[in-house]
Amino acid sequence: MLISRQWIESLMSPAGGETMSDEAFGDAVTSLGLEVEGVTRFGDDLRTVVVAEVRGIEPHPNADKLRLVDVFDGERTIKVVCGAPNVPESGGKIAFARLGSVLPGGFEIGAREIRGVHSEGMICAEEELGIGPDGDGIMVLPSDWQPGTPLPEAVPGIADTIFELGITPNRPDALGHVGVAADLAVKLGRSLQPPDASLADVPAAEGLVSLEAPQRCGRYIGRTFEGAQVGDSPLWMRVRLHRLGLRPINNVVDVTNYVLMLWGQPLHAFDRAKLSEGRVVVRLAADGEPMTTLDGAELKLAASDLVIADAQRPQALAGVMGGQDSGVEAGATTLLLETAWFEPGFVRASARRHGLNTDSSYRFERGVDFGARLQGACATAEQLLCTLAGARVTGGVEVGGQVPPTPTITLREARVLALLGMAIPRAEIHRVLTGLEISLEPAGEAAWRCIPPTHRPDLTCEEDLIEELLRHYGLDRLPSTPSLPSEPPGMRVDPGQRAADATARLEDAVLDAMRAENLQEVLAFAFTDPADLEPFGVPADRTVKVTNPLRMQTSVMRTHMMPGLLRAGSVNVARHARAVRLCEVGRIYDWPEASQTFDGATAEVDALLPRERRRAAFFLCAGSREAAAYSGSSAATIAASVLSRLGARAAIRPARPAASWLHPGVQARVEVDGVAVGEVGEVHPDLMAQFDFPEGVRGYYGELWLESLRADHVARHQALPRFPSTSRDLSLEIPIRTPASAVTDALARAEAKAEHAQDGPRLAQGDTAGGAIEIVEDYRGAGVPEGHRALLLRLHYRAPGRSVTDDEVQALHGAVVQAAVAALCADVPSIRVR
Amino acid sequence: MLRRVSDDVTEALRAEQQRFEAALAEVNDADALYELQVQFIGKKGSVSKLRGRMGKLAPEERKAFGMAFNEVKKAIEASLEGKHRAIKTLQREADLGRFEDLTMADTMSPVGSIHPVTRTRRQLSRVFRKLGFDVVDGPHVEHELYNFDKLNIPADHPARDMQDTFFVNGPAGETDSNLVLRTHTSPVQIRTMLGRKPPIRIVAMGTVFRKDDDPTHSPMFHQIEGLCVDEHVTMADLKTTLYRFVGAFFETDLKVRLRPSFFPFVEPGAEFDMECPFCPKDDAGAKLPDCGVCKGSQWVELGGAGMVHPKVLQACDIDPQEHSGWAFGFGIDRMAMLLHEITKLGLLFDGDARFLEQFPC
Repeated sequence: MLISRQWIESLMSPAGGETMSDEAFGDAVTSLGLEVEGVTRFGDDLRTVVVAEVRGIEPHPNADKLRLVDVFDGERTIKVVCGAPNVPESGGKIAFARLGSVLPGGFEIGAREIRGVHSEGMICAEEELGIGPDGDGIMVLPSDWQPGTPLPEAVPGIADTIFELGITPNRPDALGHVGVAADLAVKLGRSLQPPDASLADVPAAEGLVSLEAPQRCGRYIGRTFEGAQVGDSPLWMRVRLHRLGLRPINNVVDVTNYVLMLWGQPLHAFDRAKLSEGRVVVRLAADGEPMTTLDGAELKLAASDLVIADAQRPQALAGVMGGQDSGVEAGATTLLLETAWFEPGFVRASARRHGLNTDSSYRFERGVDFGARLQGACATAEQLLCTLAGARVTGGVEVGGQVPPTPTITLREARVLALLGMAIPRAEIHRVLTGLEISLEPAGEAAWRCIPPTHRPDLTCEEDLIEELLRHYGLDRLPSTPSLPSEPPGMRVDPGQRAADATARLEDAVLDAMRAENLQEVLAFAFTDPADLEPFGVPADRTVKVTNPLRMQTSVMRTHMMPGLLRAGSVNVARHARAVRLCEVGRIYDWPEASQTFDGATAEVDALLPRERRRAAFFLCAGSREAAAYSGSSAATIAASVLSRLGARAAIRPARPAASWLHPGVQARVEVDGVAVGEVGEVHPDLMAQFDFPEGVRGYYGELWLESLRADHVARHQALPRFPSTSRDLSLEIPIRTPASAVTDALARAEAKAEHAQDGPRLAQGDTAGGAIEIVEDYRGAGVPEGHRALLLRLHYRAPGRSVTDDEVQALHGAVVQAAVAALCADVPSIRVR
Repeated sequence: MLRRVSDDVTEALRAEQQRFEAALAEVNDADALYELQVQFIGKKGSVSKLRGRMGKLAPEERKAFGMAFNEVKKAIEASLEGKHRAIKTLQREADLGRFEDLTMADTMSPVGSIHPVTRTRRQLSRVFRKLGFDVVDGPHVEHELYNFDKLNIPADHPARDMQDTFFVNGPAGETDSNLVLRTHTSPVQIRTMLGRKPPIRIVAMGTVFRKDDDPTHSPMFHQIEGLCVDEHVTMADLKTTLYRFVGAFFETDLKVRLRPSFFPFVEPGAEFDMECPFCPKDDAGAKLPDCGVCKGSQWVELGGAGMVHPKVLQACDIDPQEHSGWAFGFGIDRMAMLLHEITKLGLLFDGDARFLEQFPC
């Protein structure tokens, strides 16, 4: 909201001592919680624009549309060329910019030749001076103004400082100048000097207002006027409204806007002649009842909309906007002025329903005063309509419905200290609260019973009053004396916290491990395009959809990590030619088929929420110049390395069933201790195309499922082998598509089942870096049948407590190979020992 | 005169020695030298074989021959040894003569990196753990009960307009599910107060969502929020904690300022600013006015804070007359941008490797 410093000052008792700078004024306003978001100083450059008198007009010798005007600026008469059609007769007053004036926008007035005639200075229009919207003709000033008077002196409000305030929703009282002045006066130790709030004594207008919905309208003052002359407002009013960002319309509408800005109270003026039977009914709309607003919008009303109707139909959507039919335009002479209080929640509902956010609804939904300020607003409007529009008050009526109860709050001095950690002197408590129009009376020792004023609906509990005290006493006075926690931190072990800490450590560890693999962390949006998720197999009705997305592309919560990485990868490939190595730790969302079970205090709500699972994912893609740098194995190796950094040994096993988002022949499942914990492979070429990667660019992907992993692996020491290992080689001929892991698993299983002497040799990690079963060579070519390959394996044997003999190793090895090959051949008969 | 057998053998010995010396001159690597050694003085070497003929000598000749044999063998061994050393020296010289241009080494390979927002989260988490706070998080999809209602933001109250909310359909597609993408980390406060008894000292950190998308607002961003609930917790305590936090985080003494403000879940409510830690300084350490962050105001706005509203405590079954609490919160993304001098918010989310690689440590 914009406020005028000049106006605020006029509503407070004069300041003693020096005038505050605008900066200090702004700081004081901000210190009250009415945050100054912008400051603009106006009008200092207009001191050389003065009131001047027209002394004569003659045609321009060389131009039809220009005239030569003799202007008396209080000191001398100057000849000025002017193109405006509305220059007044001799003796009329205009605004004259003297030579050397600099008008808003940096336009400097110099002596000029205009079509062969010398001209010194300029006769100005509102727009040229930045004090109004009118640029069609020059300003014609009242004829009794004194030539030579600087315009900023003649028209208060031209020279002013305008502050833009961010008013928080709890402070509807500060949505008008009176409210800001009232708060500030307490801060500055001045007093509020509110405008005269007394209403003219007029006959009661029986039947003028019927209140049929008293639960929705707490107070309604209707005042009738006759003899109004609708026209332009005086310059001071136009300037003030313009400075506050409002467009002057006509004197009647301007008065309602002016009062809105003064008291924060929205008013509405009806052209009473256009109201059927000249009266209004405050009632609920009929469902579907039509209404056309002031700005021409056709509304279809709902049964819970409150309307101000005449005898026949709605003339205003209460508290939101007036209707087109009864708006005050030129020619209106009889008026009905509405000053009312409408129930905030329903105004908000109506405004939202019809998509109308107006200055009026904004204030009503936050809660305007239904007490003294409401009446003050009515009084000011009445006075101004009489003085500015020549109207006569002819009658008035006030009806009342339900207003919110006014709370009585007990404020205890001890509570102030307990909440703030700072005592506030009793005298100060008294000064601040009474200054804020909070009535208080003693209630026992060091306590008061307080009744807040009706313009402060936000004050409902003791803490609210303490905030008022703190605002005015000053937050900078809070001392730096912390209360110590009653228990040393870290001594409490909450089971929930233990789990949260473990999760956080796991995420950190996985991320650090991925970084060590030279992957770069990205943050992708948690929502994405439904089309992106189609390949990932979660049915649409199990996805979590945003009801009101910004765009289709962000309308569904992701069910898989891959789209975000592909999107980022694709952006990178389009922008540069480097290798792309990205990773992310994030969540995926879905509605699980089976209902989830929860315990704890939040179980009931948790059961209503979708499932959120955590994933660590990565994506590799060679830059365009190094096409063959990566393979599916790169992804598998990274996954295994990451797991090893968590203390887990990964096994890469065939994916069953195959993931449709990965290349059917280049994918695998990642296991730890026989449990699936992730997947790796080449991104399906169709997906690469879908995400706009250039043809031929291959991407590789892996992800780990954090729910299946644990952090904080504590490694357990195993005694180092004291005796050397012995190895035996085995060459197997297997089909190319038979995974090597099938062979190694079969060998390991056979060994586990074989007969063993108590201290005899076992298959064990050898003295080389590989495992107990090493794959030495994967040979394809001459000597191996079509579609097959030769796998050369080396099996290491070792006994824990002694050297082994060749014979016993040979016996075990023979048995292991025989059993393993037999088992393998049961599935794949073409497997044989070479 | 009868020629003695020993003369023949000795002659042969000398001949082998000469043959050896000639061959040795041709040798210039260790393998050839070894071959030579085998050829002459190995088990079946030509010199070694001559020793076998000693048996055919008259006993009186044996001694002289033996001496001659040993003399030759030693000489050969010495030559071999000398040659061996010479070869080693040459090899070493040759090895030291190598040159490799290390300035062409690949220093541009992609290096792993941690996102600046994550880095900032970790830093915050370290500092708050040190200050005695537990770090917690909660679900991203929340119920309005926790995201709004229990935080004293009733339905149809203008305070709900302070945050543009993404709503979420229910499992059957219903649009009145009362589910939202959490608009702040505050629901974690509620979850914590419902789940634990005071004393509570937590920070909640995580991803939040608001329906806003322009150069300075992302629909997804990150927040941190602190909560302390205990007996005798005061606003002075809050201010002091914030002071300690900024000091610990920026590792320098920075003032903290509170300004009154409104957040429905606190009363009294405030915004908090910190003394600008980014102002450039002159040689004497005095702050210069041309600071791009605080614009010379000396203060940087951080976030909101206040005493937990009694209605919020009550909504979590905590008696506001027995316990009091404070809370604060601010944006992590902006903090990350300030720390790393990142000028465009959009850079945080589009995943350009050239941006990411700037944060390798």
